[in-house]
Amino acid sequence: MSSDKLYGIIVAGVGGQGAITLAQLFLGAAWRSRLHTMQSEVHGMSQRGGSVNAQISISKAEVTAPLLLSGAVDLLISMEPLEALRYVPFLSKNATIITSTEPTINMDNYPDINLILGALREIPGTILVDTAEHAKKLANKNAGNMVLLGVASNYTPIDKTIWHTIIEERFASKGEKVVVKNIEAFDIGKKIIAPSS
Amino acid sequence: MSKNAKNESLLLGDEAVGFAAIDAGLTGIFGYPGTPSTEVFEAVEAEFKKNGVANRVARWAANEKVGYEFALGCSYIGKRSMVTMKHVGLNVAMDPFVNSAITGVNGGLVVVVADDPGMHSSQNEQDSRYLADFANLPCLEPSTPQEAYDFTTYAFELSEKLRLPVLLRLVTRLAHTRGVVARQEMKEPTDLGIPNSESRFNWVLIPSNARLQYQRLRDNFGQLLEAADDFNKFKKGDRRGVVVSGMGKANFDQLCKEEATISKFSKLEVMAYPLNDSLIDKMLESCDEIYIFEENYPYIEDKFIAKTRQTKIRGRRDGTLNIAGELDPGVLRQALKLSMPEKKKGPTIDLPARPPRMCDGCGHIDAYNAMKEAFNIIGVSDPRVFGDIGCYTLGAQPPFEGIDTCVEMGASLGMALGAAMSGQVPSVGVIGDSTFFHSGLPTLISLVESKVNANFVIMDNRITAMTGQQEVVATDIIPQLAQAAGLLPEQVHILTPLPKKHEENVKKLVEIFKNNRPDLIIFKRDCIQAMRKGLYAKINEEKKAGGHGHE
Ligand code: SF4
Repeated sequence: MSSDKLYGIIVAGVGGQGAITLAQLFLGAAWRSRLHTMQSEVHGMSQRGGSVNAQISISKAEVTAPLLLSGAVDLLISMEPLEALRYVPFLSKNATIITSTEPTINMDNYPDINLILGALREIPGTILVDTAEHAKKLANKNAGNMVLLGVASNYTPIDKTIWHTIIEERFASKGEKVVVKNIEAFDIGKKIIAPSS
Repeated sequence: MSKNAKNESLLLGDEAVGFAAIDAGLTGIFGYPGTPSTEVFEAVEAEFKKNGVANRVARWAANEKVGYEFALGCSYIGKRSMVTMKHVGLNVAMDPFVNSAITGVNGGLVVVVADDPGMHSSQNEQDSRYLADFANLPCLEPSTPQEAYDFTTYAFELSEKLRLPVLLRLVTRLAHTRGVVARQEMKEPTDLGIPNSESRFNWVLIPSNARLQYQRLRDNFGQLLEAADDFNKFKKGDRRGVVVSGMGKANFDQLCKEEATISKFSKLEVMAYPLNDSLIDKMLESCDEIYIFEENYPYIEDKFIAKTRQTKIRGRRDGTLNIAGELDPGVLRQALKLSMPEKKKGPTIDLPARPPRMCDGCGHIDAYNAMKEAFNIIGVSDPRVFGDIGCYTLGAQPPFEGIDTCVEMGASLGMALGAAMSGQVPSVGVIGDSTFFHSGLPTLISLVESKVNANFVIMDNRITAMTGQQEVVATDIIPQLAQAAGLLPEQVHILTPLPKKHEENVKKLVEIFKNNRPDLIIFKRDCIQAMRKGLYAKINEEKKAGGHGHE
């Protein structure tokens, strides 16, 4: 995000996975960085285990539109690989995709996961994150989202200390331990960089 | 959410409205939950809970009409009040809405109605601006969370100045968008006292008073126009022009940052209604071609079309934009024939949709399974069941296909009874407890008298589950209500929708369906999500204390 151009992010997932929480962290971090920002989310029926997305706009100039221009979105963060594929048509040619490889199978016709991951690998600018593996290593079953956020933070003009503050504020009510664990997961994500393409 | 020195915080459009109401000295907020309006009430309720509620009240009502009447009563005694609802809720509250324009108000009354262009969680995408027009009331339409805050603040002042309710119109994308909002200092609740001897009879709408009051409402139209004129801005530019309101404005303003040509257009920003004819004339004089971006019926557009033959009006009527659906940056770009971005190439495999579904282990699932089998046993191979609005609406989808209609709140029972009286055997209507209290209760009274094989099924989980588990006005009283209305104890059945009770429930349902009389079946089991959140503790406590519902 170099020019004055609006930077658009979509956070995708399945209802209940925490896509909106993650989007709110982006919003908070952008605001703290004195950037203009806005974020739209879905509530209601669609949260009940369906496909959900939240959109975030970040800009050096004022932002007024809640929705992003389809085909011009710069960054996709998906908590679920099938959902990642669903939002590819919203992305710009050079967009980055950061997605978990862990499927949420709450439907009868879920395609073969290898087909999904194969399709994702073929799309340039895709970073597959084995969130299940990270969660296991960190002994923190909720680590996945924070790892994804850490990876994504490399594509935003937001300082690491601001990210840490935002995570701290968000999870403070859940106790010191949760905060530390989340920051740990975030930092691991931050070290993951795109495979050279 | 943390605040900074300028008293700014990150708020949803809905929350901005709620906080503005508190800061403006609100006494009472009322309403009925409905996406996308619910968070207005919830923001206020949460603040009241956090900071103490001396002299203030937040209360869900049985339905929007009752909520509106609560607010009107609050206004009558001189206090500022707000009522919140989704667009179709205003249909339910139409009676007090229209007549409160005739009586006028005392304390400021702001009616928050959230429309749902694109029908994200609704049965239609009706446009509330027409209803403000119909009732001769002013309507404000913000386009950003900050405007949502500012317009709400002003709406209370305007309401007290005009002595009329003010409709604040939101749409889904504003209601559920977070942005930076600067708050003002919080005022203590204001109090204008009860109507004085002069205005006392304005509230008694017997014909002699109503005629006078209605005439006055019409005569004061000029004041409404003046108030709206303060908000609506005209700027002369190119012979190409644009009229924007709400999300049309939000999207167009964004687009102007990227496209220099369109920022030179002549422009009319509409943020308040009624829209003055003189502004329409100014636009028409300045332009040969006008684009109209409004959400979502062609309300402003039709006013322009009616006034011109020369100027080309580009909008939803001439097909520049689709007649249905919501606006987004792509829709505007296409309408204005601007360049579209170069997209990433998508996957070549077919992606199955992932629609919302009932939670694993939800009692509704067991209820539908039992009903399906019971129909099978009595030999109805293609049953048609009347449904309603709630989580259980999701039971219309495979694999359940347990209901065949979803029309409006309460329709399940009315339609089931209507079909039964017209020859359907057995006739079944499925409704949730909150929806039952909202609009099903009168139909229960009719059921008793009907003597036909109509079966009302209440999916009772003691919570308004779908909109995020709000409290219901009453819990655990339906069997007593039914019996008080005249159903015999043997016509009221309480079943537990659990897998282990399946056989038992099927057997019972078979008996009931075969029985040629009205029956009430209550499938009673708590919502899993509400249980996880610990929401029943309070309800159970109240029960123990001897009351039900709130207090
Ligand atoms: S929220 Fe409650 S009522 Fe709705 S589907 Fe889930 S468990 Fe059932």
